[in-house]
Amino acid sequence: MAQRPSPKSGGKVSRRDFIKLMAAAGTVMTFAVFADWGKFLPPPKQQSTERQMVELPDGSQANVNSFPVNHAEAVIFPKTNDPVLNKESFRTWQFIRLPEELGGKKNDASAFRMYSMVCLHLWCLWKYWPQDGRKRGECPCHGSMYDPLTGKAFAGPASLQAPPSNVLPMLDLEITSDGNVWIKPPNWSPNGNGVVGYGRFLT
Amino acid sequence: MGLKFTFPSRFVSPLGFLGMLTFVIFIILGITGALLMLYYEPILDRAWDSVKNINDVIPYGFHLRNIHYHASNAMVMVALLHMYYQYFSGRYKIRNEILWVTGIILGVLTILEAFTGYDIIFSERAELAISIAASLTNSIPILGPQMTEAFFGGGFHDFVLRFYAFHVFLLPIAMLGLMVVHFPRFLVFDIPMVMAITGAIMLTGGVFPVDMGLKFDPNVPPGITVPEWYLTGLYSFLRSAYDKFTTGVAWPGLFIFALLIIPFIDRYKKFSWKDRPIITAIGITSLAQIIVTTYWGFYIDPDRTKSLLERLVIDPVFLYLVMILLVPLSFGFTYMMIKLAKNAEANAKIQPKKPTTKSSINLTEKWIYAIFVALLAFQIYLNIAAYYAVLNGMKNYSLFIIGIMMLVFAGMFHIFRHGKSMQKAPPPTPTIPPMPAKAKPPSLTQPVGPEAPQIAANTKVLGDSAAKEKTLAPSAKGSTSSSQSVQSVNKTESASAHSEQKLVSDEKK
Repeated sequence: MAQRPSPKSGGKVSRRDFIKLMAAAGTVMTFAVFADWGKFLPPPKQQSTERQMVELPDGSQANVNSFPVNHAEAVIFPKTNDPVLNKESFRTWQFIRLPEELGGKKNDASAFRMYSMVCLHLWCLWKYWPQDGRKRGECPCHGSMYDPLTGKAFAGPASLQAPPSNVLPMLDLEITSDGNVWIKPPNWSPNGNGVVGYGRFLT
Repeated sequence: MGLKFTFPSRFVSPLGFLGMLTFVIFIILGITGALLMLYYEPILDRAWDSVKNINDVIPYGFHLRNIHYHASNAMVMVALLHMYYQYFSGRYKIRNEILWVTGIILGVLTILEAFTGYDIIFSERAELAISIAASLTNSIPILGPQMTEAFFGGGFHDFVLRFYAFHVFLLPIAMLGLMVVHFPRFLVFDIPMVMAITGAIMLTGGVFPVDMGLKFDPNVPPGITVPEWYLTGLYSFLRSAYDKFTTGVAWPGLFIFALLIIPFIDRYKKFSWKDRPIITAIGITSLAQIIVTTYWGFYIDPDRTKSLLERLVIDPVFLYLVMILLVPLSFGFTYMMIKLAKNAEANAKIQPKKPTTKSSINLTEKWIYAIFVALLAFQIYLNIAAYYAVLNGMKNYSLFIIGIMMLVFAGMFHIFRHGKSMQKAPPPTPTIPPMPAKAKPPSLTQPVGPEAPQIAANTKVLGDSAAKEKTLAPSAKGSTSSSQSVQSVNKTESASAHSEQKLVSDEKK
């Protein structure tokens, strides 16, 4: 590039520089609109404001009066009409009614937990083991263990990961007067309900 | 684009055109990959099954998949060799920085391309690789989780589909674009070498057919798997500690950045590795560290009584200590090598110069015909053998035979080329080569004597001037046997330049 003589009249911008500046600004403004198009890349999240029912594998809705204490089932959420997508690990959740000593006998939402089944270590599917002495989530692959009360990994490789990758994503539940269990609309962020396969900040 | 293809008329060292070979392998990958696309299904629960279908059912699917897999490894390997050859020979200097920078980016894209390729099979190992890649992206400060969502999507279904899109379209297009910038003006297309590389890929596919791995099942504990060899170096760092960002993103990023800026750091005026000690030492250090970590990433304690974690985790203190220790070792090694090379050079000057009795095989016309007929007969036999091997379901054996066939073709073409150049060859050169203008007088032929140091000093000056000449004649590859020039590049050069080349090639010995 040729050396341009310095502008003689103080801090004034030369005509040529001004034109260049305008052209650059115009270019930026022309393409600025596309910045928002970046939203194309992440797949759309379930943004419904409606609650959804906890549908058990047999097709019925989980009910506080019939679901046994210290028991867990795999639930698909968000459920679709596509059988392939319903096989997706990232849509499988463990619906747990806590054991008695952790308050599982209560007839309100505090007796239930719903965690993502995707292990935070390397994405195998952990599950809840209700046997005496276990009563915890265990991953078959590398032995990470999860506390059913909080969803925090307390042993194994997942417990060594930095937050938020040591706490399982959790869905909020509510129970209507007829005893049916519903899933509240989730907020998919690490500070909200968490990100599946990534984790959640424990608040 | 003033591209100029050269079809060398005699054997040329492939070190000078490894880049072209990389491109040829890229084309092989493009063709086999396009064919595999006809049957592969990038769908969560069908990806692995469709690859199994290609492998087991589709006629010649096994062959194409094996060529595709082994060619991907060959491409990474040849690209690495290409990079290190350019590095040690200082070719990135002659205003070639842009070629070097685009080359490094191309290399990174090549590894990403190979990585996405082995992920979309969606075997146990692929799932492990995807989850590590996602967790590394997540570990990037501030933007990490958003980037993971944007690039990977949210779930296995998205991962397979997107890695497929990256693998078959986005990355290859980016690579093609960069290649347009990266290509130098002179390209050597050596048909025998191209066929030999193709044959070697097929041969390897026949001897080591790639397996399917186990289909990923999230409820079944996977076996211990390690990534492909070009990533085990990174994997050994990942296995050493739990801070994913430092080990998995910062270190490789630093390594790539260091490679990118090396031509701007290298201020030596000379080109040979012997004259750039620090740069050579850095290169040797990187090579040593790459080799050690690559092996370490593969190594898993075979003691099955220990816990998995104990077997997998590498003690970070040990690992980093070894890495640091390799630096002075490599520097010492490099300085020793340079010293030895310079000594040998000086000694070679003092020794009486042997007449250039480089034994070149000169086949008579009759023999050329005979060898041709024999090779053709062998080709026919191989064709029949390959066909019967396929009929009998011995797929890897047939791939092996086809590999040999390619190698035979390489030899055939070489003989053909030789015969053609013999036809055109001028009458044989006199046995006593003309003395080069700058060469030393015959009085220097006595062995090491009292005035040896002085002679060494003399020859050093001579060597420097020769080295300078070498930069002007970029592809003089030890062509001492005849007056015919190696490449069209050299064709226009005068006789004196030619004798200079001779001097250079003598120096190489």
